[in-house]
Amino acid sequence: MPKPGAKPRKASLIEGYRPLPGVPDELLDASGAMRPAWAPLIAHLDSLSASDLVSHVARGEQYLREAGVYFRRYGATTLGERDWPFTPLPIVLPEAEWAQIAEGLAQRADLLEAVAADLYGPNRLVAEGHLPATLVGENPEWLRPLVGIAPRGGHFLHFLAFEIGRGPDGRWWVLGDRTEAPSGAGFALENRVASSRVFAEHYPGAHVHRLAGFFRAFRDALNGLQANASVLSGSKVGILTPGPMTDTYYEHAYIARYLGMPLLEGADLTVEGDAVKVRTVSGPVPIDVLWRRLDSGWADPLELHDNSYIGTPGLLSAIRAGSVTLVNALGVGVLEAQAMLAFLPRISEALTGQPLKMPNIATWWCGGSAELEHVRAEAGRMLIGPALATRLPFETDGTHALGGVLRGDEGPFDDWLTRNASGLVGQELVTLSTTPVLVGGRLEPRPMTIRVFLARTPQGWVTMPGGFARIATGTGSGTAAIAMAQGSSVADVWVLSDRAVPEETMLSRTAHPFARAEGSALPARAADNLFWLGRYVERTEGVLRLTRAWNARLAEDGGAALLPEIAAFLQSYGIDPVVPMPPGLIQTLGSAVTSASQIRDRFSVDGWAALTDLDKTMRRMGSTVTAGSDAALAMGVLLRKIAGFSGLVHENMYRAAGWRFLTIGRSLERAATMADVLRVFTAEDAPTGSLDLAIEIGDSAMTHRQRYPVTTRRESVVDLLALDAQNPRSILFHLNELREQAEALAGQPQAAAPGTEFGRRILEVQTRLALHSPESLTPEALATLRGDILALSGVLGATYLM
Amino acid sequence: MLYDIRLNITYSYASLATGGRHLVRLMPADIPGVQRLIAGHLDIAPEPAERTDRADFFGNLCSDFAFRAAHDQIALRLQARVQRLATGARPAGSAPLAELPGLVAATRSLDPLAPAHFTSPSPRVQPDAAVIAFARHAAAADSLTAVEALGRAIHAEMRYDPEATDVDTPMAEAFAARHGVCQDFSHIMIAGLRGIGIPAGYVSGFLRTIPPPGKQRLEGADAMHAWVRAWCGPEAGWVEYDPTNATFAGRDHIAVAHGRDYFDVAPVKGVLRIYGGQSSEQAVDVIPLDGAMRA
Repeated sequence: MPKPGAKPRKASLIEGYRPLPGVPDELLDASGAMRPAWAPLIAHLDSLSASDLVSHVARGEQYLREAGVYFRRYGATTLGERDWPFTPLPIVLPEAEWAQIAEGLAQRADLLEAVAADLYGPNRLVAEGHLPATLVGENPEWLRPLVGIAPRGGHFLHFLAFEIGRGPDGRWWVLGDRTEAPSGAGFALENRVASSRVFAEHYPGAHVHRLAGFFRAFRDALNGLQANASVLSGSKVGILTPGPMTDTYYEHAYIARYLGMPLLEGADLTVEGDAVKVRTVSGPVPIDVLWRRLDSGWADPLELHDNSYIGTPGLLSAIRAGSVTLVNALGVGVLEAQAMLAFLPRISEALTGQPLKMPNIATWWCGGSAELEHVRAEAGRMLIGPALATRLPFETDGTHALGGVLRGDEGPFDDWLTRNASGLVGQELVTLSTTPVLVGGRLEPRPMTIRVFLARTPQGWVTMPGGFARIATGTGSGTAAIAMAQGSSVADVWVLSDRAVPEETMLSRTAHPFARAEGSALPARAADNLFWLGRYVERTEGVLRLTRAWNARLAEDGGAALLPEIAAFLQSYGIDPVVPMPPGLIQTLGSAVTSASQIRDRFSVDGWAALTDLDKTMRRMGSTVTAGSDAALAMGVLLRKIAGFSGLVHENMYRAAGWRFLTIGRSLERAATMADVLRVFTAEDAPTGSLDLAIEIGDSAMTHRQRYPVTTRRESVVDLLALDAQNPRSILFHLNELREQAEALAGQPQAAAPGTEFGRRILEVQTRLALHSPESLTPEALATLRGDILALSGVLGATYLM
Repeated sequence: MLYDIRLNITYSYASLATGGRHLVRLMPADIPGVQRLIAGHLDIAPEPAERTDRADFFGNLCSDFAFRAAHDQIALRLQARVQRLATGARPAGSAPLAELPGLVAATRSLDPLAPAHFTSPSPRVQPDAAVIAFARHAAAADSLTAVEALGRAIHAEMRYDPEATDVDTPMAEAFAARHGVCQDFSHIMIAGLRGIGIPAGYVSGFLRTIPPPGKQRLEGADAMHAWVRAWCGPEAGWVEYDPTNATFAGRDHIAVAHGRDYFDVAPVKGVLRIYGGQSSEQAVDVIPLDGAMRA
């Protein structure tokens, strides 16, 4: 019985869904009937009210926002972010169909492995006429210094991605091979979390294959590639990234955290005696396997691109010596050239006697005369572009001809084609299947492609049961190439089992005894960034306290006497308090964000969110806040947010070397700033109110009242803020903190003499300060003290970070 | 011709260099029928922590070495005895220019001498419309004739000026200004040859300088040199032409390394961490041992 007042059953979403004529669709088959795999999801959608649907979709978006999923964009000097264009509705495929896809792609992966081995080995394919020599010789991804080097372990390819789409006949086609450093697997994981949030009521029982098993298998395979894989020696596997300036850095950091592997940049590595080592705060530590997310050409400036600042000099020597495994081997980008698609079908027949189980998009290399004439005749239904481009068919750039129309400034089409024939390929303009997307509470069809990931394991290739789908934002009148070029969003891919699927975790199932993992040594570059993060956050806090004090006095009667003094002090730090939200302050915090962004793999999601929230809030306030009490209030808000960040970090961060460098940065900055504050505001000739200001900056008003109830004197202020070891704002407190961290880093017990130059220098400064009395700590003595503290920064660098 | 070759290169750094890894191609080549390396020794000071002598893809003899101890100077000292057999005579059987693309396509090889390596843009030689137009103007129906004609035209058009360009000057810039040194002349000629369909590459080496009549050979006054090689079809094969001196490379040219352009043969590459600058000095002696046989 429907409840009184219940709405009548609303129409199913599917009733208004109209695929494009003549275009295959994922939701509906050729007869217009819903494909069975979709039925449970559509039924779930139909069970939701319009407002529920909106709020469920918002859950996915909220997750992605909070997780900070974004693409990074190259900019001239700044790092920009772009929102993650997530489409909530997944693409649903039954496992039987997926198994066929996996089988076809595993065959193709083996073929690509054989081609790579030949191109860097005997070159039989060229000698026997299966590949034109110039197509290899002219390919900038074919790296001559790697020719003749067999990779350690015997394999070139370990992790691959394939872009596939469904053609008009309903079959799946390979649109492009991704061999060089395929990205997207981490984004697929994030999409999965988002889609499982959106469909939280449906997903757990929906028999959707989980993704974790794939990553576990790949992680175990990477560990198995080590020369001496043993549980006790600890893993020597790392992920090699080009660094935060690359558009997929977020994913590199994410996957490093997910797999529990260190994220390394070229500058973190050094080659010694043909072995690759990580520069860490404990000295060079060997590394044995690198999952490479850095394009080959940049890997070694000595033998490859000599303008690379992100590579490791000597890496090729180590590879030649067989002392490191790169995943994938350097130089396999040669396989990505579009022209390879013209030859791979025949190469498959030649090498294995087997046709490709899954065809690739029909491609003709115009360097052959018959092929050239075919492309010329059929130009109206082709995309003609550079033969050696590694883009996908719908990612057109540079000069190309679409449907016989030449884009670019190259004269008449026929001349262009003839003149550049050997550098061009023609590819059939395919119509790809559409999949439903939600637009204003209704379903509409959009062209889509799926990126599928394969990993090599000792048992053979395994396929991620799911993937990373790209969905065009428009229909492109049915032509996928056009639609995709106009923009796309991303979606999850659900592979549906007939039965309940096992829950997966990243925990290894191998049955060896538990051994606490040695924390991998901290790369020196990461330590440097943590140190500076600590300093910049602390400096931001110090400046906030001072600008708050300035604005509060601006608003107060009788506060004006101190304004010039505070302003002059701030100006010595590059801050102009007359601007309500000084650009120098925003820059200081921006430097903290930049430092943090270089080490995102070492940060909790919450810590990062707190820092970026602080940054965004400060920038937003920058355009609205007015000088005086308004600004003072704003600074108070920001101070509470910064306390939130510090709390997250210091409450939750594991007490390993990384936390120590962060803490050293904070203590060093706080001690030096306090010395400077005391130097200026406790001087004999400082204006009235200066002592109270110093106490305010030191956040110690309450303590001071309790301990010195009668009067505020220079001696009481200096004692509390410089010499009181119990006050967490005092200089001595932070010198003690620095000493403790230095001793912990040096691995020595508290009582023993500090073993490093850094430790010795801290001890000197600390001892000198401890011998002072409030009277002897004159402004001159404070200036010397501040210089000594700041000099510790250089000593730290020389001890640990060089 | 028999030569003793001595080369001294010194790099001095403004501050101590920490670490440092280098790749050098200085040893004269050993090419059957063209040039024989009778003896060769490359001394590196200070003693590197590691060193590997090997051949690169194109068969060039190279040395990888690295320092771990801090140092403020490195010195490379090469001593080699070389017998040069090539005479600079024109080979027979060069192919018609129009047939070269077909002949390149028919060469099913990626051996170091295969023309497929030398047809396309390479790191330091990108296609340049002005150079290609200049090359078309000089071209001839026969490929070998075209090579010589273009080499002569560049020699006539360009002013040799060691002060005008440096090792990083782009080829197109040197051509636009019509001045430069052997590296610029060679890159321009390579771009021109490739532009008209002739596979072309770069040769680094030494050139014997002949003192003016009655004068002594000045010690250390020679320099490293560069010229061009071009593929004139399967029968004639590779010919070497020196556009700086408008001559085929013969008895006076001693080859060190072959590649697509300067990038593949750079005599010294290095990556190290220093603060401040560096300076270098180079002295080359090409000493003929059978001067009486001078052609």
